Amino acid sequence: MLNRIVAVLCAACALAAAPSYAQNKEKVVLLLNWYTYSEHAPFYLGKERGYFDQEGIDLDIQEGRGSGVTVQAVAAGTASFGYADVPTMMKAASKGAPVMAVGVALQTSPMSVMGFCERNIRKPEDIKGKTVAVTPGDSMSQIWPLFLKKTGLKETDFKQVAGDAQTKLNAVINNQADLLLGYVMDQAIKLQDATHKQVCPVRFADYGVNMVSSGIIVQKDYLKNKPDVVRRFLRAATRSLEESAKSPEAAIDAMLKANPKSGVRDTALVGMKATAALYKGPDNPSDRPLRVGAKNMAETLALLEEYGGLDKASAGKPEDYYTNAYLP
Amino acid sequence: MQRSWFSRIVYSPWARPVLLIALLILLWQLVIVVFGIKPYLIPAPLAVVKTLVAEWPRLFRETLVTTYATLGGFALSIAFGIPMALLIAYSRTVESFVYPLLVFSQSVPKVAIAPLFVVWFGFGIIPKIIAAFLLAFFPVVVSTVVGFKSVERDMIDLARSMKASRLETFMRISLPQALPSVFAGLKVSVTLAVVGAVVGEFVGSNSGIGYLLQIANGNFDLPLMFAGLTMLSLVGVILFALVDLVERFMIPWHASQRHDFSATA
Repeated sequence: MLNRIVAVLCAACALAAAPSYAQNKEKVVLLLNWYTYSEHAPFYLGKERGYFDQEGIDLDIQEGRGSGVTVQAVAAGTASFGYADVPTMMKAASKGAPVMAVGVALQTSPMSVMGFCERNIRKPEDIKGKTVAVTPGDSMSQIWPLFLKKTGLKETDFKQVAGDAQTKLNAVINNQADLLLGYVMDQAIKLQDATHKQVCPVRFADYGVNMVSSGIIVQKDYLKNKPDVVRRFLRAATRSLEESAKSPEAAIDAMLKANPKSGVRDTALVGMKATAALYKGPDNPSDRPLRVGAKNMAETLALLEEYGGLDKASAGKPEDYYTNAYLP
Repeated sequence: MQRSWFSRIVYSPWARPVLLIALLILLWQLVIVVFGIKPYLIPAPLAVVKTLVAEWPRLFRETLVTTYATLGGFALSIAFGIPMALLIAYSRTVESFVYPLLVFSQSVPKVAIAPLFVVWFGFGIIPKIIAAFLLAFFPVVVSTVVGFKSVERDMIDLARSMKASRLETFMRISLPQALPSVFAGLKVSVTLAVVGAVVGEFVGSNSGIGYLLQIANGNFDLPLMFAGLTMLSLVGVILFALVDLVERFMIPWHASQRHDFSATA
């Protein structure tokens, strides 16, 4: 009787252990910078098409609550990889957070000041006399003074109101504000989805204000202990971004299948195409996605020191914050 | 018994919490130094103190803004809460209709509906006052209802037998007996009003400690964040002490005001 029980137990253990021996994939958590929207579609495409599986990675995509939180989660080891605003990561790193960017997705800045096209705000001069909604403390609100400087505007030329992400959108939708600071493929799409009105962004990059934006970040210890996993992840991620740029419809369909509330197909497609246009940086147009140019990163660091609140004394060099060494 | 000035200071009611705080700060600094904790995780208390001193004008200005919203919300919760509680305590009908609704409304997270206030009332101080009011009025209502319902029936019957009018009964018997409970509710309410004002600021405001906290958070400036939190706590303590002072004045005869109790009851 006892022998039979032991035999059954052993068989059960063998059955339980068998799948993990057969698959042996590395469990990886990618924490996004926000709730899912079109910018994140490439990762859903890569997961669906098996790019990550083929590299032996079992990818779990989790929605985030802001780049700041994502950076802290990666620094604390709660998430293996983070998809977050690289300048935000740099600010945390200069304060001692052990994080590094291993790939920069958006090498041209998505930052813009945007409003409905019917308001006819197409150039910076049109901002005079209008009301602009900003979120205090976020990366755009900190670069906003530089944009004002470069376009010859002064703080007294317009009215400014502050609110969180949802309040900014509400303010523009309800005419409490004419413009908001947002990303061309995030808030613009949300405004269009809510009101079916066209949005005309005034891009910071068009006026000489360019900082890199979202990228893949990782904890330094993780990089030291699992360099091969990082390489495999980045190989799959680069492939995902390239394929999404080539077939944005497939990427959006993959994202909507995994997360039906993340957008409306038509406008999400516009967002995906706008995102793909930002994969190329000003100094390395022929590089594959995620590989950022040194000049671009140096400029971003300089801007952060000047306007972004990065303490010059602890700023260090650009190489302290990113590496292209793990990219395919 | 003659006490040295030292033991008089150490044993005075105000010194004890200050001493405990000083001890905790020392421990905090020791832990950071011994374990080498990085500044982006937890700031060193010395860094927080330095920031408090360096940024004092800005901190003070923003604290005043938050305090106005807090006081506005608190005043509204007294103006609305106490009459509502009286209605509930004196009328079974009102109680059965309204009280469950009030309790139901308390479970709605104010953070979720605060953006709506900005849509309805704009970007001024009003959404903040409303947020503070919504968080602060419930303790006032509950404690006032309890206070007026616990008035001794015997006393009321005695008053009636002595031909006291409704107003006289209220002013001389019900109100004094209910006041201790009302003040307990007011004390809880004033600290919640501070929280409510900050929640309102997180959602939509150009000024105030909530606004400052967002900026500090976005920059990973933890010393500034903790300095802001310290100011908020100070506002809470001061307002609590003010309510306590009014209580001492209005119900000096109550057990909670006896001097054997060194803590505020």
